[in-house]
Amino acid sequence: MNASTPARGGGRSLDRLLPFLLLPVALIALGPVVRLLLEGVTGGDGFTTDHLTTVLTRPSTGTALLHSLITAGGGTLLSVLIGAAFAYLVALTDIRGKGALVFCLMVPMMIPPQITALAWMQMAGPSSTLLKLLGIAPPLGSPQPLHSPGGIILLLGIQHASLVFLTLRAGLRMIPADLVEAARMSGAGSFRVWMQTVLPLSMPSLIAGGAMAFVTALGNFGIPAMLGIPAGYATLPTLIYQRLVGMGPAVLPEVAVLALLIGAVAIIGVLFSRAVLSRRGFGLVGLSGNPLALTLGAARRPVEIGLWAFIFVILALPLLALLATSLIPAYGVPLTFANATLEAWKEVLFTQPVTRRAYGNSLMLATSAAAILLAISLPLAWLMERRSNRLSRILDALIDLPYALPGVVLSIACILTFLNLPFTDLTLYGTIWIILMAYLARFFVVMLRPIQASIAQLDPAMEEAAASVGAHLGRRLRDIVLPLAAPSAAAGAILVFLTAVNELTVSALLWSSGTETLGVVIYNLEDSGETIMASALAMSIVLLIIFLMGLVQAGANRFPKGVIPWQS
Amino acid sequence: MAELNFSNLSKKFDGVPALHEINAQIASGEFVALLGPSGCGKTTLLRLTAGFEHPSSGTIHLGGDKVAGDGHFVPPEERGVGIVFQSYALWPHKSVHANVAYPLEVRRVPRPEREARVAEALALTGLSAFANRMPSQLSGGQRQRVALARCLVFDPRAVLLDEPLANLDLALRASMHEVFSLFHRRTKATMLYVTHDQGEALALADRVAVMEAGKIRQFAAPEVLYREPVDCFVAGFVGDGAVVSAGITGQTRENRLVVNVFGQEVLSRSATTEPSHVCIRPESITLCNDAPIRARVLSCTYLGGRFRLTLDAAGETLVAFASQRAAIGETLGVKLNDLWAFRDPGAAVVMAKSLAHA
Ligand SMILES: Nc1ncnc2c1ncn2[C@@H]1O[C@H](COP(=O)(O)OP(=O)(O)OP(=O)(O)O)[C@@H](O)[C@H]1O
Ligand SMILES: [Mg+2]
Repeated sequence: MNASTPARGGGRSLDRLLPFLLLPVALIALGPVVRLLLEGVTGGDGFTTDHLTTVLTRPSTGTALLHSLITAGGGTLLSVLIGAAFAYLVALTDIRGKGALVFCLMVPMMIPPQITALAWMQMAGPSSTLLKLLGIAPPLGSPQPLHSPGGIILLLGIQHASLVFLTLRAGLRMIPADLVEAARMSGAGSFRVWMQTVLPLSMPSLIAGGAMAFVTALGNFGIPAMLGIPAGYATLPTLIYQRLVGMGPAVLPEVAVLALLIGAVAIIGVLFSRAVLSRRGFGLVGLSGNPLALTLGAARRPVEIGLWAFIFVILALPLLALLATSLIPAYGVPLTFANATLEAWKEVLFTQPVTRRAYGNSLMLATSAAAILLAISLPLAWLMERRSNRLSRILDALIDLPYALPGVVLSIACILTFLNLPFTDLTLYGTIWIILMAYLARFFVVMLRPIQASIAQLDPAMEEAAASVGAHLGRRLRDIVLPLAAPSAAAGAILVFLTAVNELTVSALLWSSGTETLGVVIYNLEDSGETIMASALAMSIVLLIIFLMGLVQAGANRFPKGVIPWQS
Repeated sequence: MAELNFSNLSKKFDGVPALHEINAQIASGEFVALLGPSGCGKTTLLRLTAGFEHPSSGTIHLGGDKVAGDGHFVPPEERGVGIVFQSYALWPHKSVHANVAYPLEVRRVPRPEREARVAEALALTGLSAFANRMPSQLSGGQRQRVALARCLVFDPRAVLLDEPLANLDLALRASMHEVFSLFHRRTKATMLYVTHDQGEALALADRVAVMEAGKIRQFAAPEVLYREPVDCFVAGFVGDGAVVSAGITGQTRENRLVVNVFGQEVLSRSATTEPSHVCIRPESITLCNDAPIRARVLSCTYLGGRFRLTLDAAGETLVAFASQRAAIGETLGVKLNDLWAFRDPGAAVVMAKSLAHA
């Protein structure tokens, strides 16, 4: 009888306390967005629409909006072409080496946009080390072709092709194989099957993927900043950046309106994509076991060669160009075996205080964001799954917002919120903490969703068994839920780390001297003409990213479906 | 070990009743089976007892302490009730030994004692050789025994089992029956065993609670359920045989009630003087050619040693055992003896006025 009475712990009180976790989470994640909305409507003092109209009718606003729509629209078109071609070929045909192909297509998505831009700039233009190496560089003085709307569109298209790919492939997997088999039985060739059966059925996924690519392209800051600003071609995110950097917090009410404008366009895109996806239904019951495999026949080899050549051009070539630039002794000098030097690498990794500080800051921010989110998300995901209530369901629906909204929008929202900490004289603006807060809000879903997925898969009886043998809530979470959700949590933490460590958009607006992040420093180095050091720094980050992606990939079969973004 | 007491226990899910006014006392050390068709509320009663659900009304007492009801609720981890799930719910990241040791770790039992008790529990369930395996490396029967060991290791006040054998094949079930019986004899634990297999319930339990639609229809020893069902549902659900309506004659003979079945007067055991039905078990039927009740053979199956016949008598289907094969369509005489007459709460009583002595 004595042994039957379990040790009393804080079990019941924890059960009562845990729901209060929802409140700070909701505040951190959604508070800034709400604050921004208020600012846009009130302009800081009282409800008025004057302020809105002033900013919206200014010509620069219209031009930037137009530029944003053009580049995002063009980029989306390109993303759809690339993403769809890969998705159809990978999901439907019998080409070989699909895993490696998909991994390579996903790398551009994980590489920060400003590095992509930097790498491509090293591939084109008169100073391209790579072109000089091959002896086909255009003459000095000719313009950098990428410093143009076309260049922005090209890079946006490549950067976000993987979003279209992933959405479309997920949709294609829901098409029952017997539908296609039925079409083939009736004598249709591979191409006709695709045209008449697969294409119409997968159209909603394609459109939804396109909408997502559009929203992401719209919020992209790194590419238009690197390619557009030198050409005097401003999009909404770069306009906001230039205003805020030029004039300081005084223009906050004004940029808030711009942020709301771009946020509104983005939300329309998100809602559109959700609406299309939810009508995807068709009564399709997928997972019919054997995946589709249309035989390409004699065309298989040429198609494979074509796909790999494409990957080579969009991934390997720019990175090679970046690597080449990072090895030359002085900008404009051609690379030879004799003059190749690791001087710039040594400089950025060990000597320069700014780059070392940036590495420190970014690693610290990424690690803290990952650790804090890990600690919060585990109980939170458990709470949302097992003790779901209205508040938790609302939070679940809205938590995507800070991630789906363009980074500049969240940055402005954070500045507004933390410029004067409510009820105090303190400010977080200019400190590293404001960046951390913004990262916490922005990357919450990146951490939460994988953990949610694995807790949803957990048989509740597992926890009930622990409860019945006397383990109170705290111990159940620690001994049963944590170990079983650990692989997904680890994947989530690595993803947060990966995204945070090379983040530019948010920190570009929130940094100040001493709190630079890697993204900011690469941008600043390039901006001040230190292209070689920028390249070396960028290259070191790319290596770090590929290493981390490989780490996640290695544990792939231990995660529930949907945890790894490049493995939907 | 503790007695278990349900009084006026009800549970509704979103307003839909799953359990209605359950009243039952289970003595300390008793082995009780909950038997009933799917959806009748067996699992719900078990989960209320374990503390995974809150009752809508009524109370649960465990060993004299109120554990649920009247605004009082003891959470599962403080009830000291062991539970064995149909899915076993072993923790996949812990070895067999760690699974079994966990309840003691939670209780901060010192290591030497813990090791001794784990070893004892593993030995009792025949798992000593598997202590270092992971659950995924065990067969279904072995997993079930780990679940049982994990439950018995902390001397729970009551043990709840929810269809523990449903995932096992027939041969394994029989051997697990032995394990459960042994387990019960050794631990003297109060056990509540959910099943929808009546053979299992009747074979294992001291008493069986037959449930239907959220209510306990009858709660009695297996032989009582079989010989003296209280209503048509229990009579039909437990055991083989037939339930047919009976007319009252108002007479008794040789201390037995005289009832009218198929137009004939037969003697029957009964707890009431106004029965509505009789339960005719196969043992109550003797086949002989000169009996007044005539029945046509519908089917004949060999059971080994005897034949099981289904017979059609005046539109009712009876079940009888015979030592010889009978031809289908053949007409036999049926003699009834030692019937059980009862009054089904839902049925109207038929007064057989047509009979002579009126
Ligand atoms: N969590 C729940 N929410 C809503 N209804 C429930 C819930 N759990 C059980 N029910 C309902 O309560 C009734 C009793 O369910 P219960 O699981 O107790 O049946 P059971 O006797 O164990 O059946 P089975 O033999 O199929 O396991 C059913 O009608 C069921 O649909
Ligand atoms: Mg059940």
